[in-house]
Amino acid sequence: MLEVTDLTTSYGSVIALNSVSMKVKESKITTVIGANGAGKSTLLRTISGLEKPSSGSITWNGQSLLHRRPEEIVRVGVAHVPEGHAVISALTVEENILMGSLFRRRTHKRDIALATEELYTLFPRLLERRKQLAGTLSGGERQMLAISRALVSRPSLLLLDEPSLGLAPLVVEQIIDSIKILSEKTGLTVLLVEQNANTALGVADHGVLLSLGKVVADRPAHELKADANLRAAYLGY
Amino acid sequence: MDTLIAALFTGTSRGAIYALVAMGLVLVWRGAGIVNFAQMGQAMFSTYIASTLIMNGYSYWLAFFVAIAAGALLGVFLDLVVMRPLSNKKQTELLSSQSMRSAVPVIASLGILGVLQALAGVIWAAEERGFQAPFAQEGYTIAGRVMPFTSFDLFVVTVVAITLILTVIFFKKTGVGLAMRASALDQEVAKLSGIRTNGVRALSWAISGAASSLAGLLLTPTSNLSPYTLDLALIIGFTAAVVGGLDSLPGSVIGGFILGFVISFVNYYMTPEDIYLAILAVLIFVLVVRPRGILGGKDTRRV
Repeated sequence: MLEVTDLTTSYGSVIALNSVSMKVKESKITTVIGANGAGKSTLLRTISGLEKPSSGSITWNGQSLLHRRPEEIVRVGVAHVPEGHAVISALTVEENILMGSLFRRRTHKRDIALATEELYTLFPRLLERRKQLAGTLSGGERQMLAISRALVSRPSLLLLDEPSLGLAPLVVEQIIDSIKILSEKTGLTVLLVEQNANTALGVADHGVLLSLGKVVADRPAHELKADANLRAAYLGY
Repeated sequence: MDTLIAALFTGTSRGAIYALVAMGLVLVWRGAGIVNFAQMGQAMFSTYIASTLIMNGYSYWLAFFVAIAAGALLGVFLDLVVMRPLSNKKQTELLSSQSMRSAVPVIASLGILGVLQALAGVIWAAEERGFQAPFAQEGYTIAGRVMPFTSFDLFVVTVVAITLILTVIFFKKTGVGLAMRASALDQEVAKLSGIRTNGVRALSWAISGAASSLAGLLLTPTSNLSPYTLDLALIIGFTAAVVGGLDSLPGSVIGGFILGFVISFVNYYMTPEDIYLAILAVLIFVLVVRPRGILGGKDTRRV
């Protein structure tokens, strides 16, 4: 279980996360929704070690993630796919995936080959394009690649930031479905950040609503989805 | 005709060395975002170590490899002791603008150059000393004519070619090479992929230090060794790196050879004093016609 307690993160004098507490249950999909600037991305960036919180605690299965560098946090099984289809454009598809496995290539050589194969089965279009530069891919393919780069290390927790950003609804559905199937099949825990609340709540087990850096609702996803008042007040539809 | 052949030969062996210098600069630029003006100071220092070993009766080859190892170690030392603390966020928060912050390590590298040159003067005295070549310095004879291409030049070209091939294999085929390319292209994604970017950065300094020490060892037999003899090589190597595109390793090699040929031709067809002007002309020409360099990426312009 991921436990975030009283987490506060600031950029200079701007407080992005204000004493946020939440839990992510194992093998479940939890989504964090909220308007632009609610602190969703900051939450993920603080968990993965990219931002340093000013106070609070983060534990993953009882192990504290505070004061660790991002490259060490990956090693305890927490993989982060940041916003904006984060792949390295000047590397090939194959190299991008390989990059995510480098840190365990000495100890898990065979498993990496297996994991790579599984990813190509999950996203066959990446297999077709594996020798191409990532910069030549479509938005959806780049997002698939970014997710593959994270999954090849066989994380137990996947932090997924706005996978739907700038993608056609059909592609979004395909990507979200893959994540759902993966979570059900392998017991992967997912923390999904989305601005597209409908899609996210449709697939998630649990939902957390953030507004201006604070948690305003923390409930089962279907309840959150049904609450018209909350939707009107915080999501504007 | 003779002059043309002579210019081509000299251009090749000189170009090979400048390619090495440029490659060293590009490695640190890509790996750490710093234009390292101390690079040939580091090379000078390790060449002095080699020279001292040889003068004390050790073999050239021992001195050769010790100097390259010393160059690598000095590179790592500078990264860990000077550059890393300087780029640490907390200490540079005082400087508000990003361009000022990134200028700090570059200015520090100029400081390091000064310190290394002064230190070399103190340890080895500032006079020029000769530096023996491991091979004969007489030119090969082709069709009855003595060419300005000696067995030492052949050695230079061979060593540089091997180094460049090994570098390409290292970057393209090994995991560490991929980690280095990834960190140079996108620090954040590299970190999230589990790449220890600090280690990669130190490795960039090490390889750059080793490459420039090799350049120093290959340059000094044809000039002399003093704390300042390699300054010109830095200027030429820097120009070569900019010509090639500053963030491109193949570009730096191409740039090195272009500079080698330009300088050699100016030397043979004009006067040696004109080479500074020629270097400047090449630099300005590239900056006007193709500011990002021959193989440079899109945002090299701000450099």
